[in-house]
Amino acid sequence: MRTVYLISYDITCPKRYRQIYKSMKGHGEPMQYSVFRCELSDMELQQLKDALWPVLNLDEDRVMIVDLGPIEGRGDDCIEFWGEPIVAVQPRTATII
Amino acid sequence: MISRAEPTPPENGTSSSPNANSPLAANVGIDGLIPVRMLNEYSYCPRLAYLEFVQGEWAENLETLEGTFGHRNVDKPDRKQIPARSKSNSKAAKSEETEEEGPTSIHARSLTLSSEQEGLIAKLDLLEIEGETITPVDYKRGKVPDLPEGAYEPERVQICAQGLILRDNGYHCTEGVIYYIASKRRVVIPFDDELIARTRELVRLFRETAISEICPPPLEDSPKCNRCSLVGICLPDETNLLIDQQQLTHERSQLPVKPDGLRKLLPARQNALPLYVQHQGAFVGKSGDRITIKLKGEELSSVRLLDISQVCVFGNVMFSAQAIQQLTNRGISICHLTYGGWFHSMTSGLLHKNIELRIRQYQTAAQANEALQISRQFIAGKIKNCRTLLRRHLSEKEHPVLRQLNEYHRRALRAESAETLLGLEGMAAKEYFAAFFTLLPDQPEFDVDGRNRRPPRDPVNAVLSFLYSLLTKELTVALQSTGFDPMLGFLHRPRYGRPSLALDLAEEFRPLIADSVALTVFNNQEVSPDSFLHKAGAVTMTDAGRKSVIAAYERRLDTEITHPIFGYKVSYRRILEVQSRLLARHLLGELAEYPSFLTR
Repeated sequence: MRTVYLISYDITCPKRYRQIYKSMKGHGEPMQYSVFRCELSDMELQQLKDALWPVLNLDEDRVMIVDLGPIEGRGDDCIEFWGEPIVAVQPRTATII
Repeated sequence: MISRAEPTPPENGTSSSPNANSPLAANVGIDGLIPVRMLNEYSYCPRLAYLEFVQGEWAENLETLEGTFGHRNVDKPDRKQIPARSKSNSKAAKSEETEEEGPTSIHARSLTLSSEQEGLIAKLDLLEIEGETITPVDYKRGKVPDLPEGAYEPERVQICAQGLILRDNGYHCTEGVIYYIASKRRVVIPFDDELIARTRELVRLFRETAISEICPPPLEDSPKCNRCSLVGICLPDETNLLIDQQQLTHERSQLPVKPDGLRKLLPARQNALPLYVQHQGAFVGKSGDRITIKLKGEELSSVRLLDISQVCVFGNVMFSAQAIQQLTNRGISICHLTYGGWFHSMTSGLLHKNIELRIRQYQTAAQANEALQISRQFIAGKIKNCRTLLRRHLSEKEHPVLRQLNEYHRRALRAESAETLLGLEGMAAKEYFAAFFTLLPDQPEFDVDGRNRRPPRDPVNAVLSFLYSLLTKELTVALQSTGFDPMLGFLHRPRYGRPSLALDLAEEFRPLIADSVALTVFNNQEVSPDSFLHKAGAVTMTDAGRKSVIAAYERRLDTEITHPIFGYKVSYRRILEVQSRLLARHLLGELAEYPSFLTR
């Protein structure tokens, strides 16, 4: 089952910043600039690390990964949000367009 | 890389192997090399090695991903020169020795080497070359285990096999090192006679197992299964339970005792769900690791690739090459349905590697008796499940149709020929649908007088036909990803030009999934008369109507129920996949009978 993570980062180089932003979009929803809410299983978190690792330069960049707990528990209701998020979080259903 | 003598071409009629004619035996025949990683798997669990090496199955789990992540540095091959050694050509060896006198310590990463004599091939993580001596280093993701030997047998055998390959290539090699990434510690494994003998014995046993074409039985209640990435494919506890049950019923001809609860090795729900696109002219593209759906340049929606299990498109929907590549690379099938919901084609990656299963499938389909045995289970299961659905919904508990269906179920289990079976199915379906239609609200718009199709002439039949099409699509995807050829069935004959095996397997799920969803959407008024279009007697659904039906159908697939045999909770989505794997287990000879899925 999935857990909610809050992931934020500081990237100094614009090129790396764009690469990281693109990777992050594949793993979660941006709530603010450089702050993502990601619903990930253990495996998917590992995949996220795999995706970020080769791009990051840890001498200059910083990443923070905060575990907010399972979706059914604290993870879903421990964020109080003001204003419009950049992308709203979708509930887990099959997407029908 | 060290050059070796040209491998001798495979001889015709390799007399030592019992199944020399089989295309699979060639893999591991006299000159087939066994990857050392597989030797590790074989020592861990012979079945795991068989599934991976012979049947070509593979699945990732957290452990395998962490393993790859831990290897990210040593897996980068470097371009360093490594002095070659040759045991046969002493002149060449001498000249290299003189070259070697200069630098004494060399490190080399990610090197592939093989040994004809040992019958092994390995990718070596790291080689430490110290003058004359060479030490292989193998990276492992975990911590150092608390064992006197320093490492578990699979790891020790793996490093020893690497050592044997190096020795055969002329290097001096007496010990290997296992580096545990989590502990950041090196454990030295000396290659003593005992370990070497064990390694060579395992190579021999693995070769025999692979050639035998009999999948080794699953481990019994082993803690190894919890961490095994192939557990969802191997189904160890489920297979063991069914084997026991089928033996018991065979011996005593009565129902065996229910299990008090199996270990729950399968997740109850999958994280990824289908994506449906029914906007005509929509464009499906890829942006980063997301799939985006656009209409006239405007983004309608975007979904993480992680969240997609399959993509279903109705009618004219366009795809970018990048989107198709990403989807198929990740094993996500694209199902194409016509605008009206007729499932006609599928885009997927290369065919599954499990050729052994397809060979057995073709053989079984060609033998009328075996095909009939499986078909009986499909039809009997369907009749039983039809009865269950009616029993749950009919107000009259002693309705004559229930008794009738029981009778048909009994006769279907003993049907002597495919024709009899189809006849029984037809009769049962007639009685079932007569009762089924009484369960629907008596509204004048719903003109219901039995099942009709091609084209359906009333809303209920339109919904049923659409749901059967979705179910067939679901099972086609499940069967193909198990390794079956969905086009060749046992009951439905291939001349229909449709995914016959999916139609076969769909039989038992029609009442449980499709019919039950049809009842829900009508009785909960999720569809209204506005959801349908009438054209010259034929009825189709509007986009909105179809959307409600798909939503109800997806909800049903996500429903968790207690599995009637295994006793744990799983979603219908997973059950479809498990049934397809159980069918494979039957074809490959592990289960005496295909157990159809029956609810109570």
